[in-house]
Amino acid sequence: MQPPTPEAIHEPDAAGPAGEVASSGGSPLPELPQREPSARHGRAASVRRRSARRAPVGFVPLAAVGLAFLALPLAGLVVRTPWRQLPTDLAAPGVLTALRLSLVCSLTAVAVSCVIGVPLAWLLARVPFRGRSVARALVILPMVLPPVVGGVALLLAFGRHGLIGQWLDRAFGITLPFSTAGAVMAETFVAMPFLVITVEAGLRSLGQRYEDAAATLGAGRWTTFRRVTLPLIAPALGAGAALCWARALGEFGATITFAGNLPGRTQTMPLAVYVALQNNSGAAMSLSLVMLVVSLAVLVALRGHWFRSR
Amino acid sequence: MKRKPLTVTAVATLLLAAMLVVLAGCGSSSSNSTSSSTTLTVFAAASLNKVFPQIASAFEQSNPGVAFAFNFAGTDTLTTQIEQGAPADVFAGASAKYGDELSGKGLIDEPRIFATNRLVLIVPAANPAHITSLQDLTKPRVKLVVGDATVPIGAYTRKALRNLDALYGPGYSAKIARNVVSEALDVTSILTSVSLGEADAGFVYVTDARSASGKVRSIDLPPQAQAVASYPIAVVDGAGNAAVGQEFTSFVMGAKAQAILRAAGFGPPPK
Repeated sequence: MQPPTPEAIHEPDAAGPAGEVASSGGSPLPELPQREPSARHGRAASVRRRSARRAPVGFVPLAAVGLAFLALPLAGLVVRTPWRQLPTDLAAPGVLTALRLSLVCSLTAVAVSCVIGVPLAWLLARVPFRGRSVARALVILPMVLPPVVGGVALLLAFGRHGLIGQWLDRAFGITLPFSTAGAVMAETFVAMPFLVITVEAGLRSLGQRYEDAAATLGAGRWTTFRRVTLPLIAPALGAGAALCWARALGEFGATITFAGNLPGRTQTMPLAVYVALQNNSGAAMSLSLVMLVVSLAVLVALRGHWFRSR
Repeated sequence: MKRKPLTVTAVATLLLAAMLVVLAGCGSSSSNSTSSSTTLTVFAAASLNKVFPQIASAFEQSNPGVAFAFNFAGTDTLTTQIEQGAPADVFAGASAKYGDELSGKGLIDEPRIFATNRLVLIVPAANPAHITSLQDLTKPRVKLVVGDATVPIGAYTRKALRNLDALYGPGYSAKIARNVVSEALDVTSILTSVSLGEADAGFVYVTDARSASGKVRSIDLPPQAQAVASYPIAVVDGAGNAAVGQEFTSFVMGAKAQAILRAAGFGPPPK
C-alpha cells in the first residue's frame, strides 16, 4: 500500500470515510466515492462534485456587513493616503530607521520563538506530563492579555527591581528595559504563543506513526526529529512563524511600556506611526500603508496553509 | 480529547472571575449619579490628572447633577483626537501652541490661560545613578527619559536644555542627548519610569514631582534656564454640554479652583 501523501496527512478528516464529509453539513448528500491513496486529483474532483449549499436565512446580509466592516477601514487607508507625498514621507529621517528596526526586532523575535517555542510545542503535543493543561493555559495567556499589561508584567519580572531583573542588574550589569533587546523580549512575549499553538496543532494532527516507525528502524530521537518530524510539520511551522512575525511586527503596547520609545533603538514602526500621527498625519498614513502592504504579503504567503479547503 | 475543554474552561473561568473583581471595584468607587445628571467630557493634559478631579469635586459640590468623564493624555494626542471629531466638551492643554492651533481651526472657543507650570529634574528616591545636579546628567550610562518632541513636556524640555547650553556651554545638550533612553508620549510615563526606578532621571513638571514626592527626589533648574508652561482651557465648538462647559471653564478661572491649583504647585495665569 502506498503511504499517504503529505497533503493527506494534514487533512486526516478528509482522508476518512466518505460519510464523515457528508454528515458535517447536516443535509443529505449523494454518496461520494471512496478516496484513493494518491489523493491529489481525487480531492479536487470530490470538491467539484459537492453540491452548493444554501445559506440559512439572514446569513448573507450579516456576512456582507462583517466583510464591509473589515474592508472599509483598509479601503479608507488606501484611498485617503496622500499618494503623491508617499516618496517624501517615506524618505523622512525616522521612517527607514523605524522600518529597519522593526524588521530586525520582529525577525529576531521569530527566531527566538522558534528556538524555544518548537520544543515547547513538541512537549505539549507528545509528552503527557503533569500540569500540561496549566502549561498550555500559560502559553495561551499572552494571546488574551492586553499588550500593555504584558509590558507591565515584563517590567515587574525583568525591570531593574524585577524578580529576575534585579539579579541581572546586580550580577551582570544588564538592564533590559529601554533597550533593543527589551523590544525583542516584548515582541516575543506577545507573539510566541501563536507559533507554539500552530506547531502543536500540526504535531497533533501528524500523529506519532512516522516517529514510531523511525524509532523501530533505529533512528535516534534527534535524527527522528530532524529528518522525519521537522519536514512533515514544515507547513505548520511556516504558518506559525508567519503569524508570529506579523504579531511581533505590529506590537505597540508592550514595547512602549517595557522598552520605551527611542528612534533607532526601540522606536518600531507602530510607535513611529503613533508619533507621526500627532505631528504630521500624512506621514502616519504613508507608514500605515507600508504596514498594510507587509501584512497583506504575510497573508498571501499564508494562504496555502490557513485557507486550504476548510 | 477530554482534557482540552477543561483547559479552555479553566482559562475562561479565570478571566471571568478577574473581570468581575475589577468591575466590582470600579462600581463601588465611582459615584452613581443618574437621571437628571449631565456628564461633562473633559479632555485634559496628562499633568492635570491629579488636580482636575479635585477641581471637578469642588465644582460638583456647587453644581449637583454634573458628573465628569476625563480623558487624560498628551496634549498633542488630545489635539489630534479633537481634530478627528472626538466628542469633548472642554479642552485643557499644557501648551498654548495647541490651544492656538485648535482655535485657529475653529474647533474650540477662544482659549484662556488658567495656570502655568515649571520644569524640574527628578531622580528615583534611591538615586541609583547618584545624580545631585544638572551637570551629573552628562555622566556616562545615565538613563534619562524625556518627552517626545511633539508632547508639551518634550518641547519645554528641549527649550530648557537650549537655555542650559547658554549656561553650561554648548556641548551640554549634546552630551545629555546621548543619555536619553526613551522619548515618552506623555509626562505621566516619565514620572512612572522614574518612580519605578527603571530610569535614572527625567524631566517633568514641578506638579508631577510634588504628587510623587515619596518616590522621587527633585533637582531644581536654574531660573534663567526655566521654560514656563502655559495651560489653555476652552469649550470645544459644538459641544453637547456647552453651557455647563462654560460654567466649568469660568469655575477653573475662579478663586476656589485657583486655590486648588496653587496647592498642587501650579503657578498663576499671567495677568
